[in-house]
Amino acid sequence: MSQDNKDARLDRRNFFKALGAGATVAVAPVAVTPAAAVDPGKDETKARYRESDHVKDFYRVNRY
Amino acid sequence: MARMKFLCDADRCIECNACVTACKNENDVPWGINRRRVVTINDGKPGERSVSMACMHCTDAPCAAVCPVDCFYTTADAVVLHNKDLCIGCGYCFYACPFGAPQYPKVSNFGSRGKMDKCTYCSGGPEADLSPAEFQKYGSNRLAEGKLPLCAEMCSTKSLLAGDGEMIAQIYKERVVKRGYGSGAWGWQTAYRETIAI
Repeated sequence: MSQDNKDARLDRRNFFKALGAGATVAVAPVAVTPAAAVDPGKDETKARYRESDHVKDFYRVNRY
Repeated sequence: MARMKFLCDADRCIECNACVTACKNENDVPWGINRRRVVTINDGKPGERSVSMACMHCTDAPCAAVCPVDCFYTTADAVVLHNKDLCIGCGYCFYACPFGAPQYPKVSNFGSRGKMDKCTYCSGGPEADLSPAEFQKYGSNRLAEGKLPLCAEMCSTKSLLAGDGEMIAQIYKERVVKRGYGSGAWGWQTAYRETIAI
C-alpha cells in the first residue's frame, strides 16, 4: 500500500466526519420543537349537570 | 362541584336488560356495540346476583393514561369523554379498562377497528351541545337538557342510580338503613326461606 493511498483514505474519513458534524448542526433546531398535546377547550369541559326539577324528581322517587 | 357517578344495587337488579336497550335506542348505538351490559354471577344458583356495567367514569381513568393520541378528557362534572376525530382505533383503552367499557365497530372483514365507542353518561362529546354532529358521533346529550342518563331513569326496580355521587350514596344509605340488604332485606326471607343467608 503506498503512502499516497493512505493519505487519500484519511482524507475521505475526515470528509465524512465533517459531513456528520454539519448534519447534526442542521437537524438540532428541528429536534427541540416541543410536542403539543390536544387541549380540549373550556366549552367542551364545562359542567352540564344541573339539579333541574326533572333530576330532583329522579332523586325523590329513588329514595323508596 | 357535583361528580357524576353510577351505582348499581345488585340486590335489586333483576337482569331485565332495560338499561341496555334504553341506552342503545337513546344513543343510536351501532350494531355490535353495547355501551352498557348486565353481568350475572352464580347464574341459576343460590346467591345469584346481576349488576349493570358501563363506563364507570374513573377519576384517574386508565383508558386516558394509555391513549397514544390523548383523545380522552374529563369534564367539570367528572365525566370521561373522548374525541372520535382524534381516536385511531388502536384498542389500547380496551385492554386498559377494567370494566370492558370501550367498544369498537367492525368496519371490514379483515379485523380492522373503527373509532372507539363508549358510554358518554348521556352527555354527548366535544361538538356543540345538542347538535346533529354530536348526536351522530356520540348520541344524545341529556345532561345538557337537565336530565340524567336514560339507563338509570328507565330502571324499573330503581337498581341503577345515576347523578351526583354524594346524592346517590345518600339515597343508597337511606335504603339500607330502612330496608336492610342481602338476605336481611325486608321480605327476603318471606320470598325465599327463613334459612337463607346469602
